[in-house]
Amino acid sequence: MVAVDLPERTATRRPPARRGRRAAGRALPLVPAFGLLALFFVGPILWCVYASFTDIALTGAGASTPHLVGLRNYRQMFSDPTFTKSLWLTVVFLIGSAIIGQNIGGLILALLMNGRRRIVRTVVGIIVVGAWVLPELVAGFMWYAFLSDTGTLNAILHAVGLHGKSWLYSMPLASVTIANIWRGTAFSMLVYSAALSNVPDELLEAAAVDGASAFARLRHITLPLMRRAMLTNLMTITLQTLGVFTLIFVMTGGGPGTKSQTLPIYMYQEAFKFYHLGYGAALAIVLLAVGGLFSIVYLRGMRKEV
Amino acid sequence: MPVPSPTAPRRRAVAAVAYLMLALVGLAFLLPFGWLFLASISEQPTLSTSIPDRLTLRNFTDVLTGDNLHALANSLVLSMGAALLTLLLAAPAAYPLSRYSQRFGRPILLGLIFATCLPVTAIMVPVYGLFVQLDLLDSIPATTLFLTATGLPMAIWMMKNFMDDVPISLEEAAWVDGASGLRALLRIVLPLMVPGTTVVFTFTFALTWGNFFVPFILLIDPAKQPAAVAIYQYFGTQGGYASYGLLAAFSILYSLPVVLLYAVAQRTLGNAFAMQGAVKG
Amino acid sequence: MRRKSALVMTAVMVAATASACGGGSSDSKTIKVAYQKFGNFIGADELFKKIKPVFEQQNPGLKLKLIPIEADENSYYTKLNLMRRSPKTAPDVAYEDTFFVNSDAEARFLMPLDDDLKSWPDWSQFVDAAKAAGRAADGHTYGVPMGTDTRGLWFNKQIFAKAGLPANWQPKTWNDILAAARQIKARVPGVIPLNVYAGKGVGEASSMQGFEMLLYGTDDKLYDDQTKKWVVPSRGMGAAFDFLKTVYSSGLGPTQQQALDPHWSDNVGGQELPKGKLAIALDGSWLPQAWIPGGANAWPQWSSVLGTAAMPTQNGQAPGKVSLSGGWLLSVGARTKNPSAAWKLVQLALNKENSLFFYIKATQVSVRNDVAADPKYLEGNPTQKFWTDLVSVTQYRPAYSVYPQISNQLQAATEAVVTNQASPRSAMNDFAGQVKQIAGPDKVEAKS
Repeated sequence: MVAVDLPERTATRRPPARRGRRAAGRALPLVPAFGLLALFFVGPILWCVYASFTDIALTGAGASTPHLVGLRNYRQMFSDPTFTKSLWLTVVFLIGSAIIGQNIGGLILALLMNGRRRIVRTVVGIIVVGAWVLPELVAGFMWYAFLSDTGTLNAILHAVGLHGKSWLYSMPLASVTIANIWRGTAFSMLVYSAALSNVPDELLEAAAVDGASAFARLRHITLPLMRRAMLTNLMTITLQTLGVFTLIFVMTGGGPGTKSQTLPIYMYQEAFKFYHLGYGAALAIVLLAVGGLFSIVYLRGMRKEV
Repeated sequence: MPVPSPTAPRRRAVAAVAYLMLALVGLAFLLPFGWLFLASISEQPTLSTSIPDRLTLRNFTDVLTGDNLHALANSLVLSMGAALLTLLLAAPAAYPLSRYSQRFGRPILLGLIFATCLPVTAIMVPVYGLFVQLDLLDSIPATTLFLTATGLPMAIWMMKNFMDDVPISLEEAAWVDGASGLRALLRIVLPLMVPGTTVVFTFTFALTWGNFFVPFILLIDPAKQPAAVAIYQYFGTQGGYASYGLLAAFSILYSLPVVLLYAVAQRTLGNAFAMQGAVKG
Repeated sequence: MRRKSALVMTAVMVAATASACGGGSSDSKTIKVAYQKFGNFIGADELFKKIKPVFEQQNPGLKLKLIPIEADENSYYTKLNLMRRSPKTAPDVAYEDTFFVNSDAEARFLMPLDDDLKSWPDWSQFVDAAKAAGRAADGHTYGVPMGTDTRGLWFNKQIFAKAGLPANWQPKTWNDILAAARQIKARVPGVIPLNVYAGKGVGEASSMQGFEMLLYGTDDKLYDDQTKKWVVPSRGMGAAFDFLKTVYSSGLGPTQQQALDPHWSDNVGGQELPKGKLAIALDGSWLPQAWIPGGANAWPQWSSVLGTAAMPTQNGQAPGKVSLSGGWLLSVGARTKNPSAAWKLVQLALNKENSLFFYIKATQVSVRNDVAADPKYLEGNPTQKFWTDLVSVTQYRPAYSVYPQISNQLQAATEAVVTNQASPRSAMNDFAGQVKQIAGPDKVEAKS
């Protein structure tokens, strides 16, 4: 049998030579990073929480003399059907494009590429990563051109004798979901590729010699070893996807009507078209809560690990 | 006696299927780029994809102006700076989070990570105010610091997770030999984390490269603005219309550095396979 | 030793932070002017570059600092107002949409110019509508207009010839427009007879070039300046919704898919009109900016192919035609340390010579009588006179801070009508409910 070092929960194990050191000493390397975060990040976030209870605005009376308005922004939000719909659309977009699309797509790509010839890995990798690194604005416009009535997709469908349709009009949410899968899969692929390279080959070979099928090896060896990577990845792409704005804004502008108006689009409208920074901040807090909820689920998943 | 031959054809079949699927996926990912490439070499591109009558490189020569090259250089400074600084700060921060039980570190970090999904537009008023107070407006180093801060929670978190996957037994050996924590980190842990570090670096670089709003708000002098800001100028204007050809050409040039970075990263990821094997052997 | 290295790192960071140079100076010897510069929209940049040496020569000891902000309109405005929030960075003179005068005055970003204007001889050359555009609800004037835009009908003479319609077409009523569109639909298949913007996709174009161009040609308006109330529902508004319904449901307009596309307004000027696929477009004076040599969609034949006609009122009631206007102005910041120098800059930038320079560079319609009569202003663009003449009837939108929200609801209402989700009547009643919620029930009145 091959002896394997499974990655362990290491938090409880302490290096023997350092046992005597105070916790403060151990926290020291955290200081520069957390110092920078405290300076540039924590204050503004707290401000955002505060602003969500005010009527502060970019112009008008709210710009010169903002007032505390208590829970007015939140009450207004939850009594507004547009908000409820946006929240729902955001969750559907998140699950469809990140949790299912990018995550599973990235895993499959990483598995397919693992151990293949370098030239194939490089070519496919560059195409997929190209989609990721393209500025969001350009990616949105490309997809708009791709799916528009006279666009590439309809031209291809027409060439093979099929009828195209007005994709962005008839299925706006599906369109932006697919575009976001296209754009974001590379990140999951990178994470899973890195994780796969940490799965010991001997283990897989030993299992293969023992007669385990490729699927069984994947299920019982590779995936369990990649569990942490998977949860980390899920958390990252969830938080990234929640903030997707430009892609949707360029492709559909949130429309037709409000059929693809996710929370960031709704927030943009409130904060930059109507100048209600306070209400926009309240929406941002809700976005934060959604991200937090999903993250808690992932963190629970990580804790369950053996 | 085990005979390896029966599995060989199967293995080849699996490989063939994998290559076929990779080709299909590659093609599917390539298709939306079609418009971009064709528009960049067309004289009068429109939104519909068509093979141009006459090919031209004029769009590329037109966007290769001094201002645009300058903007690309600014982007490089900002993104390189932020990505390097992120690694420099994230690696030491991730180490104790991964190796010792921390009463406060983890919850604080998680809180900050949730906050990274806050659209930067939601916090720009206080950030601008802060930069005015500290007299940091219009400074590329300060903007780099802020961009680093926005990506840092996620970077620390990713680093910590990659670090968790490095078996502690290796360091224990080093500790026994009397190496300090920093040395253990530098000599043993980080080399094993090359793939993870590469992901973090690429991630931060790409994130910063595409960031329009932060530099736009924090830098005043147009000569300091990065390419993400410059790209908007080809994008429709008040009463005018997008110059699709220039937009496409500049988009391609704009994306190249990150694609190149990935190509380089890909090589180190490849080397990592060999390295893992060497360590385990 | 680890502790030390961490400390060194922190120190390096702090040093890097501290050594960073600061933002602009805020002394009274430097006058800062902030303006938008975006893509080929560089009129303001060229203007201020032109007058910088002149200003510094005329005012020894003073420096003019240009702060071009390169971004789209929403981002420009966001940054401008962030700068204004802080005394250190607030510009002395800023370039902004006339639309924001009210809310920016309310935010105390602007300095009233009433006394300065009284003693400025040039002010008498400005047309009344433009003077009113710089005046806020509090009665003070906060800005000097840099030109304007007007709206009306563009039509394709080649398609008109095929349909048997005259090249000097001038409809007298809404029905004349519909009749022409029907004739085109019957005789020239494959073209869109008439485009009137509607729906949320194209945003403000749908409110301003579309619905309000209809509404302001009826006996009603969106806002009553006397009663200071929003007017909804009204008979005129019902008629405007009916008109949209007729255009879209009888195949006289673009398809719903086209109309609701967020890039439809770009496509109209960039593709549909130049390619001869659209016969009549209710649109703006600025379209040729893209067609002139060097424009984004150069189309040298545009002036021979396209004709212009004023948008008629509903039944031809006086004054017979209707137009809406926007446009930019220069304002003086409330926090300026040197108000008299800032005012001097505004005077210099918008004197006759420099106004003319800006109108031509930025394809603006003149708001100065002396410039409008200047042959140099009219040469180069054969439609310039037509659009300038519309200034005599033009109106501005109700420039109140709730307008963007009301406009957004208006766009949603037009979308419901053109997609048959609501009848014109129920869309109007829904819209009335929304306006009451946004502006407050006591700020709304019905007229029937």
